[in-house]
Amino acid sequence: MKRLLEISLGVVTSIGGFLEVGSLATSAQAGAAFGFQLIWAIVLGTLCLIFLIEMSGRLAAVSKKTLAGAMRERFGYPFFVIPLVAMTVLGVLVLASELGGLCLALQLVTGVSFPWWAPIALFGAWLLLWKATFGVIEQGASLLGLITIVFAVAAWKLHPDWSAVARHALPSAPTHEKARYWFIAVSIMGASIAPYLLYFYSSGAVEDKWTESDVPINRVTATIGMSFGGLLSIAVLIVSALVFLPRGIRIDRFDQVAMMLTPVFGRTGFYLFAAALGVACFGAVLEVALSMAYMMAQGFGWRWTEDARPRDVARFTLAYTATLVAGGIIVMIGVDPLALTILSMALTAALLPIAIVPFLLLMNDPRYVGTHRNGWFGNIVVCGIVGIAFVIAIVSIPLELLGG
Amino acid sequence: MADVNIALIRDVLDLLLIDRDGEPMGRVDGIVMTWQPDAPPRVTHLEMGGVTLAQRLPRPLRPAMLWLARALSTRARDPYRIPVERIVHVGRHIQIDLDASRSPARASEHWVRDHIIGRIPGS
Repeated sequence: MKRLLEISLGVVTSIGGFLEVGSLATSAQAGAAFGFQLIWAIVLGTLCLIFLIEMSGRLAAVSKKTLAGAMRERFGYPFFVIPLVAMTVLGVLVLASELGGLCLALQLVTGVSFPWWAPIALFGAWLLLWKATFGVIEQGASLLGLITIVFAVAAWKLHPDWSAVARHALPSAPTHEKARYWFIAVSIMGASIAPYLLYFYSSGAVEDKWTESDVPINRVTATIGMSFGGLLSIAVLIVSALVFLPRGIRIDRFDQVAMMLTPVFGRTGFYLFAAALGVACFGAVLEVALSMAYMMAQGFGWRWTEDARPRDVARFTLAYTATLVAGGIIVMIGVDPLALTILSMALTAALLPIAIVPFLLLMNDPRYVGTHRNGWFGNIVVCGIVGIAFVIAIVSIPLELLGG
Repeated sequence: MADVNIALIRDVLDLLLIDRDGEPMGRVDGIVMTWQPDAPPRVTHLEMGGVTLAQRLPRPLRPAMLWLARALSTRARDPYRIPVERIVHVGRHIQIDLDASRSPARASEHWVRDHIIGRIPGS
């Protein structure tokens, strides 16, 4: 019974925490521009994420070490600096995207332009990190995040051609706007396979004192939770494809995306979208800021925990505060949130090998995971998908930047 | 400590140091050996600190990181050296017989606490 409860809680956490500005924006753009054709990118990204999340939980449960800590120990400081710097830069960009999404949600409801909301949103997020414990943040954000299920309801109500949806779970070549197609495909994959999630997840597992007996539960929750999460991304794409494509609306700005639920739910749909966007982004802001602090604290051997008083973990507290401020500055100078989001997600895909290759080596090292080493199947799936994402990224990002 | 074989780079360098109270006190940033005439080389200290870390980076990055480490250094002694006699156990972590909160290993933590975080109400 206790196990069942644990599994349900884990699944709910994954579903509620899955959608954030990256997956929302990329899926919406994909649907508006290419109909159902890019569903395969969500499928590939989610599949890869399932494996990676399961691995980072397993690493923590068996070795009692977090991903950042194990990476520094196994590969040494001179190597560790590379993912540390890459992930920090990426973390700040992603945080700015999420914060931008949150501020846009506030703009939608109030009409006050988004950069003005940044200081308030920033302070709210910071105050919660300052006051709340890990459990409150993780579970609270996820429970509220369940509002994102409205996208699944909307997709269902629009009666899509399910056989066409299923058909596009497999990749197909684009018929028009080839460069744009691959750029959105890689942004979707970057949005799904967010590396900060791995640092966050392994830290949570260490914070919750997982042991080897948690390995099977972890496998079940990661698989079910992330699969349902991926379905939500697909739902966003379906709704976008059915709402925007027939009307010929190209998504260049966020306020266009905000209309996606109105054909289904009327005026309420507009507020539902704003609420879903705001809640999802707020949760992600907290997670990204914490992940960056976890990574630094663990890499340098500082005291870290989200459950202590801030003054007892001063450097850890400073780390998340600084990450929030850095992200906030980007939003306040008024960078276009949609463009920033899509670019951060594509950049994530391009930098994935730096985070994932050493992680895979750890997961195959008996000194860290003993008999719980990766199987060949997991290794091949992750290598393959990360490889595909990387190749598409380095080809399509320059094309997009030059063309755009 | 019992007679065990330890590979310095693999089993000691970059590992987490845990103090007497089970609290983390940083990572092993460097290992110090001494040579004396007519005797085999001997590991004498574990070293910690930004200066030590900067020196481990590739040569082109070193000057900038050394400058940064010195600018940020709040320790009276950087690098800080822990005598190997203080090592209790080398395993998943390295157990040290010291009180981290009274050692220079926590100097920057205390500086951040006293000058930044501790000044915010409700810390």
